[in-house]
Amino acid sequence: MEDIVTFFLYPFLFLALYFEVFLILSFFDADARKRRRRTPSVIFPSVSVIIPCYNEERTIVATVDSVLALDYPKDKLSVIVVDDGSTDSTFDALARFSTTSNIRIVHKENGGKHTALNAGIEVSESEFVGCLDADSFVAPDALTAVMENFDDERIGAVTAAMSVHAPRTILERMQQAEYLLGITMRHAFAAVNGLYVTPGPFTIYRKKIFDELGLFKPAHNTEDMEIALRLQRAHWRIQNAPQARVYTKAPKTVFGLIKQRRRWTTGFLRNAMDYRELLANPRYETLGLIVLPFAIFSVYSRIVILPITWGQALQSFFQFVRHTLEVPLSYTFHLPSIDWFFAPTSMIALLGTFAILFTLTFIFVGAYISKTKTHFGASIVWYLALYGLIAPVWMILSVTDVARGVRRGWHA
Amino acid sequence: MKPKPTLRNAFLAFVITGAIFGTGFWVSNSINNLRINEIQNIEQQIGIDTLSVETQFELLSRLSCEYVNENTELSAELNTLASRLDYTETQLGSENPQVIQLKSEYSLLEIKDYLLMQEIATKCHLKPVFVLYFYSNRGDCPECDSAGHVLTYLRETYPQLRVYSFDYNLDVGALKTLISVDKIKNTLPAFVVDGKITYGVSDLASIEKIFPPGKLSTTTATTTPKK
Repeated sequence: MEDIVTFFLYPFLFLALYFEVFLILSFFDADARKRRRRTPSVIFPSVSVIIPCYNEERTIVATVDSVLALDYPKDKLSVIVVDDGSTDSTFDALARFSTTSNIRIVHKENGGKHTALNAGIEVSESEFVGCLDADSFVAPDALTAVMENFDDERIGAVTAAMSVHAPRTILERMQQAEYLLGITMRHAFAAVNGLYVTPGPFTIYRKKIFDELGLFKPAHNTEDMEIALRLQRAHWRIQNAPQARVYTKAPKTVFGLIKQRRRWTTGFLRNAMDYRELLANPRYETLGLIVLPFAIFSVYSRIVILPITWGQALQSFFQFVRHTLEVPLSYTFHLPSIDWFFAPTSMIALLGTFAILFTLTFIFVGAYISKTKTHFGASIVWYLALYGLIAPVWMILSVTDVARGVRRGWHA
Repeated sequence: MKPKPTLRNAFLAFVITGAIFGTGFWVSNSINNLRINEIQNIEQQIGIDTLSVETQFELLSRLSCEYVNENTELSAELNTLASRLDYTETQLGSENPQVIQLKSEYSLLEIKDYLLMQEIATKCHLKPVFVLYFYSNRGDCPECDSAGHVLTYLRETYPQLRVYSFDYNLDVGALKTLISVDKIKNTLPAFVVDGKITYGVSDLASIEKIFPPGKLSTTTATTTPKK
């Protein structure tokens, strides 16, 4: 058993560490350093922020308000709210904005998020269009921070720095750490054009890319991945603005989280299959040679590695429980004397510690570069304790769905 | 502005990751070597202590028993050695030649201490409790883990217990002789307490029962204080 564990763990650890080291090198790339130093823009092109919504009565007003509060010339900013056939009181909630000059409200029959986004793009007359999920909120300087990064004609899209809105529960805090890690990763990989997703929460696109490449597609319910891959295939660059803070509502239940991530992961695997010409293709440099192969590897490796880790953790736990029951409790819980001899210094333990330290550093860096104020302690504790337990579940479900050809709806 | 070629970063990342792996391997190996050195030092110390007790014992014809202590430091050292050896075995594996070598030496020291203390106990009318514990870690003794844990607890709680644990499968001549002399069958875990053999028990209550009544107490009435 030990040999099997080692057989899987060493290559996994090597590749995981390799990926993290590559991330660090990219983080110190000249382009990344330049983008961390903000260079305020003097020109403000016109931007339409499209907010697709379906049954978002609880959050839509706050979302629109946050866009209206953006620190951007009002004559250059318009808001297009697309009600995708909501059946709740979203329609009534939007009524309060009917007289606001730079807001346009479009009602349409339900057709899915991509159709709502396309409806918004079609009515937009701006040079740039952005999308903002109806459960997300932007910081006042987010748009200026994003627009500063369109400093090259071949930059087709700029993503923001997402974090969890008002994390309170254990699950939200766990996701907060994950999102902060994502900020660092997105920022570092943007520097070497390695992004393969332009997230719904506040990605701004150059509008002409839709004229050139076409509108959003259903894309296995992950239209934000498909459009990013389409951009990359056409050799447009995707940039990231780490200071553009956007806050999104995170699933509050484990079931909700697994459902969301299953949609993301199946979407990723299917889109990666649709765009397989990018994989291992030197023409797509970092994205084709490193990011996409590693992203696919991480899905499959977690399915193999994490259950093994679970198995070992459970074995140790049961052994501890058994030993606790075998002798008086006072013996089990007496303070052990500290002795270097018994320090966990196996190769696996040392490398695992390295990988975890890197991850923790990325989480801190994510919060630092985005200036996100949060409670680190709880987020990190829950991330380390729970993420590894929950993630394999959605990975396994996703791979099973893809292998069996099961198609699920947005909310299924 | 074109993105920088990936090749340089990819190559650098490979070199750095290789260096991290190499460093991890070196650190882990060095610490394991330190552990083995420490165990060897303890064994050396025990060897000297045993020799010292033997010499002391030979002098007994001329000296009084009050110079002999039933709870010598040797007992504590054997306990320290046992826990360190156990941990090293889990780190390096039970098939590691160095581990086997250290365990063989440890077993010999235990047998030597056991025989010596028996003679001293007879001569000086001491009444320590000798426990010979035989286990196997070849996967054929699922109860040995529990039995070992319970014995560790008993050994730390009752200082007068002199627990000698032996890997039944270890290829050491003296150990094989001990097994054949005491007629220990391969039905593990096995305990020999005051010459009586007990097989297959692993829980605290059952193990406590194999000790003669009154032998398990937290003080030792027969201990001769060191002068």
